[in-house]
Amino acid sequence: MRMTGLAFMNFRNSFKNCLSLVASLAFTIVIFLNFQNLIYSDALIQLGEKNKRNMDTVIQVISIVLVCFMFFFIWYSTNVFLTRRKKEIGIYIFMGLTNQRIGKMYMIETALIGLSALGFGIFFGIVTTGLFQMILLSLSELAVEISFRPVFTPVLVTALAYLAIYVIFVIKGYVDIVRSSVLSMLTGARQNEYVRQSRALLFLRALAGVAVLASGFYLAVKKGGPEVLENAVGAVVLVILGVYLLFGGLLPLVFQWVAGNKRFLYRRERCLWVNNMIFRMKKNYRTWAMVCVLVLCSVTALATGFAARMRYENMEKFEKVYTFQLLSDQSDLDERARKLIEESTQIAYSSFLPITTLSESQIRTTTRYTGYALTSYSALRELAREAHLDFDLTEPGAQEYIKVSNVILFSLYTDVTAETAEIEGKVFRQTQRTQAPYLGYLQQRHITLFVLGDQEYEKMRSIGKQLYIYNYSIADPNAFVSAREALGELVAQTDDYYVGRVSVDPLSDGERNWVKVLYSLCVFMFMVFILASASIMFMKLYNDSFEERERYLIMEKMGFDAGALGRSIGKELAVAYALPLLVMGVASYFSVHALQMVMSADLGMIHLVSVLVVVTVFLVCYGLSVMVYRRNAGV
Amino acid sequence: MNQNKVAEVKNLIRNYGPRGFQTKVLKGIDLTVYQNDFIAIMGPSGSGKTTLLNILSTIDRPSQGTVMLGEQDIAGLSNKELSRLRRDKIGFIFQDYNLLDTMTLQDNIALPLSLNGVSGGECVRKAQELASMFGLSEHLKKYPWQLSGGQKQRGAACRALITDPEIIFADEPTGALDSRSGRELLECLKRVNERGQATILMVTHDPFCASWARDVYVLSDGLIRCRISAGAQRREFYDRIIEVQTSMGGDFS
Repeated sequence: MRMTGLAFMNFRNSFKNCLSLVASLAFTIVIFLNFQNLIYSDALIQLGEKNKRNMDTVIQVISIVLVCFMFFFIWYSTNVFLTRRKKEIGIYIFMGLTNQRIGKMYMIETALIGLSALGFGIFFGIVTTGLFQMILLSLSELAVEISFRPVFTPVLVTALAYLAIYVIFVIKGYVDIVRSSVLSMLTGARQNEYVRQSRALLFLRALAGVAVLASGFYLAVKKGGPEVLENAVGAVVLVILGVYLLFGGLLPLVFQWVAGNKRFLYRRERCLWVNNMIFRMKKNYRTWAMVCVLVLCSVTALATGFAARMRYENMEKFEKVYTFQLLSDQSDLDERARKLIEESTQIAYSSFLPITTLSESQIRTTTRYTGYALTSYSALRELAREAHLDFDLTEPGAQEYIKVSNVILFSLYTDVTAETAEIEGKVFRQTQRTQAPYLGYLQQRHITLFVLGDQEYEKMRSIGKQLYIYNYSIADPNAFVSAREALGELVAQTDDYYVGRVSVDPLSDGERNWVKVLYSLCVFMFMVFILASASIMFMKLYNDSFEERERYLIMEKMGFDAGALGRSIGKELAVAYALPLLVMGVASYFSVHALQMVMSADLGMIHLVSVLVVVTVFLVCYGLSVMVYRRNAGV
Repeated sequence: MNQNKVAEVKNLIRNYGPRGFQTKVLKGIDLTVYQNDFIAIMGPSGSGKTTLLNILSTIDRPSQGTVMLGEQDIAGLSNKELSRLRRDKIGFIFQDYNLLDTMTLQDNIALPLSLNGVSGGECVRKAQELASMFGLSEHLKKYPWQLSGGQKQRGAACRALITDPEIIFADEPTGALDSRSGRELLECLKRVNERGQATILMVTHDPFCASWARDVYVLSDGLIRCRISAGAQRREFYDRIIEVQTSMGGDFS
């Protein structure tokens, strides 16, 4: 029989066994294809040019994350498959086959698995794209028409990305087999999961893991300016590396210590489950590290989504504080403006603020803003009172200021008090920063306000142009158009004196719908990561349980108490699920804390909820795993 | 001889197959095992020796007759009670060792004791004591795949002995061993039996292996055909077993 024929026969006969591998690979393809399809489909175009552009950037970033996920997932699953097949295909050595030919057969077999997964993935991917978009957009509360027409480019991009990664690991498997000794291939399944390293080496590895993780955490929470982005990337790399080193060093070390300490080991079922874990330590720690990183990603994704949503709502609120804002060099426009608006509707509330505008040459700040203005502490406090806004600022002293700035989605400046401003050669220190919407739309888009103490303001007010801001919020949003027309009379007289007007339709949709989609995508990513990590754990334990069957059968025959064996399984699986969760719990504190700084949002509750969701999913999975494990192992 | 009964079988019958097409494997066995006995059951293939061992060790149930282990009749016991009985009163030595490859030899030996809730210190002490008795002290830290067949089987014997069971059932214990390893194992078993530490019932097809026992029961066609008791010399006992085997004919493999 030719090599291809033999490989094909193997593939066909063991298809049932490979099904979990095919299914998991197909799952990653379906996810990736759905995200790619979002970029190329016309659904997002309907949200407008700006939304589409922002959305594409977000999806590109998510695609990079997904490619990484796909890379590790394929690495893991092909590795599990190789270990399982090694002993089986090693028998061909007795038939006179060389390592190269066995390697070739493995390559053909895995290629067939990879191609079937690709076929299934693309098929189910195309089938689910419409559904995915529908769920995504309805979760985002957006009304967009979705076409179910398949698009070719995302299919091509997905297939190419997947094949590029898959080929790497097929070749890696081939090289692995070619380099394997006959003995290691035949006894591989029995020995190679045990981590055989000296305690000193494991200790160093664990120490390196702790140090790398700590550096990652430090970078994640370090305050600063634009370098925060680099820090975040560095933190991600360090945390992944640190988790891997920690699991690969500390766990074998601890378990080996337990196994060596017989008085401690021989307590009820401990001897059984601890040894089971040590026996598969290599596979165990790699899986746990991967699951830990995935769960960490899922918690962070959910926190990002919620933070984005909160920010979106804040930004929307920000712009809709006032319906009309007038900016003028006249200080007596209020009465006329009020009269004109009240022709159409009542005024819900109004406020007034005198400011001194500065040109860019008059002020130098750590960050560049679009417009600069000074105002006094008392004037701002009065405005807050009139507009029913909270005001908990303390008056700045000499050469100090409070910055009143806009709300943006992400801010790389996480250190609030490090900023200074040089006004007319005089250096002022920032004492507080607020993003309360005192000046609504103008503050969001055009003016960054530097609030000085009353005395300091008096001294400085003459350095720039004196302007007055009149803010009105109308009671009846439907009267917006008529009120706007009425106010036109004031704006038309701008030749006589300067009047600028801002009108925000209380009923209009913003240009930030993409943030809503971002929120839904993050929730989706959360689910993808959590499902992936839970299924990896489940799949691994499911495979382990078959390997354990024989051992449990022996123990049952010897009269070992089934209850004790059941408890041993329960403890082994509990530790397997708990370890990644434990490390994730610590790591996610730092990741969410970093996110909290960048997005200036309080994510404590969201963090807690997302961790609880993850724990709940894992608990359910744990219960299922114990049940299935006991059944498969015959306990 | 100590006359405490460890196991007693009366008129044991075991049928297999559906009603009307039943095959009688055991046709009425009577056997009593006393404390500190070392019994070998021999017989040609299909004579029912493994079935007898399985029933005695509570892995299988009789069709008729009574099987008493100590004071308990196993017929009325639930699976859970049988499991407890196996755990507390019986030790097993299998032909293919059945050591758990996930743990070291020491852990394998200590496992039954540790699962029974005995303190860690006591587990360590007993495991080391038995390992020393069976010449395994040097190998305690090794995994089963690092041991020879003989070492594995001696390890399995240690594991069977560690809970001080009332009786040890050995199913072809030397079946997978070379003659030297087989001899080493049997010497060890003989030693523990002579020290009064174990009652052993062993199934074997090998007359050499059987000659280490004190009594040999020869089974044929589901019935015990004869009992041969050891004399002063093992060599002479071996010759008598061969003689009986030859006179009975059949395939003893």
